[in-house]
Amino acid sequence: MASLDYAYRRLVNTLGPERVARSEFDRMVYSHDFASLPKVALLQWKLYPDFVALPQTTEEVAALVKLSDESLLQITPRGGGTGWCGGSVPNRGGVLIDMRKMNRVLALDSDGRTVTTEAGVTWKDLEDFVESKGFALPFVPTNAVGSTVGGAINSGSTGFGGLRGGRLRDVIANLEVVLPDGKLLTTAPNADAGGQLADLTSLFLGAEGTLGIITKATIRVVTKPETSKALVYAFPDLPGAARFLKAIVDSGLEPYHAMLADRDHFVFERALQPDSPEPADLALVGLRGSKDDVADTERTLDGLVAKEKGKRLAVEVAEQLWRERYNNYSARRLSRGLLTSYNLVPVGRLPEAVETAAKIRRRLKLNGSVQAYLVDTTTAALVPYVLMDDTRPSGGTALGFVKRMGDAAFKMDGHPMGLGLFLVFNLRKMHGRATTFISAVKAVFDPRKKINGGKTLEVWTKYPWPGVRAIPPQGMAVGLEIAAMLRRAKPTRDRFVRTYEQEKGS
Amino acid sequence: MGLLRDWHYIEKAVEIPALSEVIRESLIRALFVRDDRLLPKDLIADLNRLPPVTVKVKDDSEVRKLVRVLNGEESTVSLGLSAEDYHFFRTQLGVGRTREFGVVVRPRTLLTYDWIVPEQRGVQLDFTAYAEIEFSEEAHRAIAQVGATWKQLYDAAPAKGHRVPFVPTVPLDFAVGDGVYGDAPFGAYRGEFGAYVNALRTISPFGHRARVGFEEVANNGTAYDLLHATLPLAGEFFLPVALALRLEAKPTARKTLTYTFDDGAKLSVALDKLTRSSTSPDWVHVTEAVAARTLRPSVAAEAFTAQISMSGTGTGLPAKEKALDTAMAGFKAKSPDVPNPFDAPADAYRKTADTVARSLFVGEVRLPAKALGDFLAKMRAFGDQSTAKAGAYASLRATGIVSTFPFFAAPKDRSKVYNLSKGVRAIASKVPGAAFTSRLAHLWEDEANFMRRMGFLRSLKLTIDTAHVAQPLVAP
Repeated sequence: MASLDYAYRRLVNTLGPERVARSEFDRMVYSHDFASLPKVALLQWKLYPDFVALPQTTEEVAALVKLSDESLLQITPRGGGTGWCGGSVPNRGGVLIDMRKMNRVLALDSDGRTVTTEAGVTWKDLEDFVESKGFALPFVPTNAVGSTVGGAINSGSTGFGGLRGGRLRDVIANLEVVLPDGKLLTTAPNADAGGQLADLTSLFLGAEGTLGIITKATIRVVTKPETSKALVYAFPDLPGAARFLKAIVDSGLEPYHAMLADRDHFVFERALQPDSPEPADLALVGLRGSKDDVADTERTLDGLVAKEKGKRLAVEVAEQLWRERYNNYSARRLSRGLLTSYNLVPVGRLPEAVETAAKIRRRLKLNGSVQAYLVDTTTAALVPYVLMDDTRPSGGTALGFVKRMGDAAFKMDGHPMGLGLFLVFNLRKMHGRATTFISAVKAVFDPRKKINGGKTLEVWTKYPWPGVRAIPPQGMAVGLEIAAMLRRAKPTRDRFVRTYEQEKGS
Repeated sequence: MGLLRDWHYIEKAVEIPALSEVIRESLIRALFVRDDRLLPKDLIADLNRLPPVTVKVKDDSEVRKLVRVLNGEESTVSLGLSAEDYHFFRTQLGVGRTREFGVVVRPRTLLTYDWIVPEQRGVQLDFTAYAEIEFSEEAHRAIAQVGATWKQLYDAAPAKGHRVPFVPTVPLDFAVGDGVYGDAPFGAYRGEFGAYVNALRTISPFGHRARVGFEEVANNGTAYDLLHATLPLAGEFFLPVALALRLEAKPTARKTLTYTFDDGAKLSVALDKLTRSSTSPDWVHVTEAVAARTLRPSVAAEAFTAQISMSGTGTGLPAKEKALDTAMAGFKAKSPDVPNPFDAPADAYRKTADTVARSLFVGEVRLPAKALGDFLAKMRAFGDQSTAKAGAYASLRATGIVSTFPFFAAPKDRSKVYNLSKGVRAIASKVPGAAFTSRLAHLWEDEANFMRRMGFLRSLKLTIDTAHVAQPLVAP
């Protein structure tokens, strides 16, 4: 391996000094993603990258990838860092490639109805651009403000638009990827061949940057809908709201988005912003389409809500919640840290799923909220979050919640989302005997494990010595299970809201 | 379906750089039409040979057992055959010699043509008797064994409270499995067939049951989405035995509207406008006069017919119909009474399918909706010029793309197929934004990115199927 100083000089020669960072502070910022990690994790991994590189063009990305053949440093690609399982965090230092300088929307083809963009553009910026041209995005991930195009593709995101045919897989026309050998690959033909002509795009959805670095994406757009409307309903309990979401699917309705959030979420919001809606178990529905269609769906929805003894809230509340639909985790400010657990569960079991999530949270004495939304006619995303303070000794034990939630999702015939650095132990549970097929993909694209190695399929540690270079993924599961047990043994419940209000008062 | 084997065969044959440019296309032609003036007679004989043993599958454990025998893990004795069958099996396959045996799944209905290089030593699986469908009580989901027909699924779903969202663009009597190891063109207005497949139940090349994808939920954030990357070629990586399909709720009301057009340009404008509107039908099926006559012999055929199926609440349908009328402006006539081909009783559907299947199909041309009229006119002229009357079935996607299947009234002779495919490709290549996809088109394509992608697929196949059992690759 070349010395770090030599590697730094080569990086600077490639990008210039202003786009290569190696200060302690810069490296610290990139040592975690959206999930808060206890410091103890540094014993296992070198989470701080040696260098942070900020390329602006595909050619620069390719040059960085080729450079790693000389320096033998690991490459970790990163988008907005809104992941929750360490997919964009280094495990052995190396070069972290932050793609957010590649943030130009390149072209909108109004005839072909596609937009071509660099991978570092955030979905919100892309949505604003597309809407300014009279079009709309059929899919937008839930964390649209921070999530980049490349990041969402790498994490296989779910989000808005699924019930109307807008799932991420369906809206990506093709990708430009820098492969581990530094060469470029376009994953599908330019013309829409309907998945024929060796379309490899799907392989990169959820790949967590382990097959190559996505530099550009061509995304389908749709004509801006004639009308859009948001509706919000309050329910006596959360399972009632979940049954309402199931009823939407059973009635054959196709809203643009349908989600629920429990009252705790609004308790947190109220603590931070007094003008937030009154805490209640709510369902938020976004409609798009022709005026007549929207009006008809609205009538049917009102009927479904009545069956669950729910009531419709004021238009202003609906509009406020819809405006803030991408800002879901402001509660983080109450506790310094927050953990999200992303899971997919069958729509039919959503009422059971929300109850299970609340039960696990209660059992582990955590503060948090249960949220869910419809992904398609069979699938709902169950996305509870919990608050944590990783500066306290008990903070890290909250990670046990993610493990318990994943186990619950499997029991309900669903699965947790994301593998990254912390959740690799779920791989075999997800795919069973097909795990060998999945592992074959990495072997074909990146046999030397240059890009984001030691994640998704296996767990590398920072240690170079044989025997401890990697740990069995199941070891991680045991660690998180112990965290959950410790958490359960904790005598008191977290009280972040009260503490926040006291601190604010003082 | 045999695509990687064909591609690999051609690639190996033209590996010598000096020869590759000269002979690639003529080699494809010679192999496809079995030209014994260019190729040795032995080779032609080899290419014409079909798998000597066909196994009619009744249970997936039979496939597991068979795969283990063929990959050498178990002996033929473990198959439990009678003495006569045992002898036949061993002699036909040439068991005992140093040979690789492969398994190939026989599609129930092939829309276009078979592969260039057939499986020569091995076993062909016939899944027609493996045809159960299990609908979920709790979710809009079905598990269909690969031998179940699409029509069986379509007809049974409403009684269980579901709707099958995808229909075949060419109404043939396809098995559901033909979508993953054949060339069945299933699709819906909202998306391609893949959007409705949650998972495949497969038998791995090592004889294990392996589920690719998730039966009850979508596959997101679980590492590489192998399911959708390999879907059209699934039979070349593993042996699919059942599909978990995503369905939709049975609508309270449904209606099929038929719009006729006398001008291709007006049709194109209407279809393009429809995809730019907020209206979202279930499917849009387009036929020109020849196809319309085949599908609806009792109805006078106009130059172009667009059948649109829409569903929703009883109160919402009139508004949807109004919006459709606006989008389809320019139509000559509209009727709510013309039956759609998919709702016909099973026997009538099969009868129509038999008639449709007599035509010669060459593959799929996907093109922007606004170019459809022009393309169909060129196809008609090409058919007249080739003395093979041309027609087309097409279906529209919300993306503004039309999936078109041109056909010809011509005998299914291999050289005719080759020449007509070539002609269709030439026409499609002149339409901006169009793509011609067929097994021959894959072999003709030589764009660098495509070649790399095919190379990756081949490597992936060889890594997954190290036992060389699922349609093994062969070299000349």
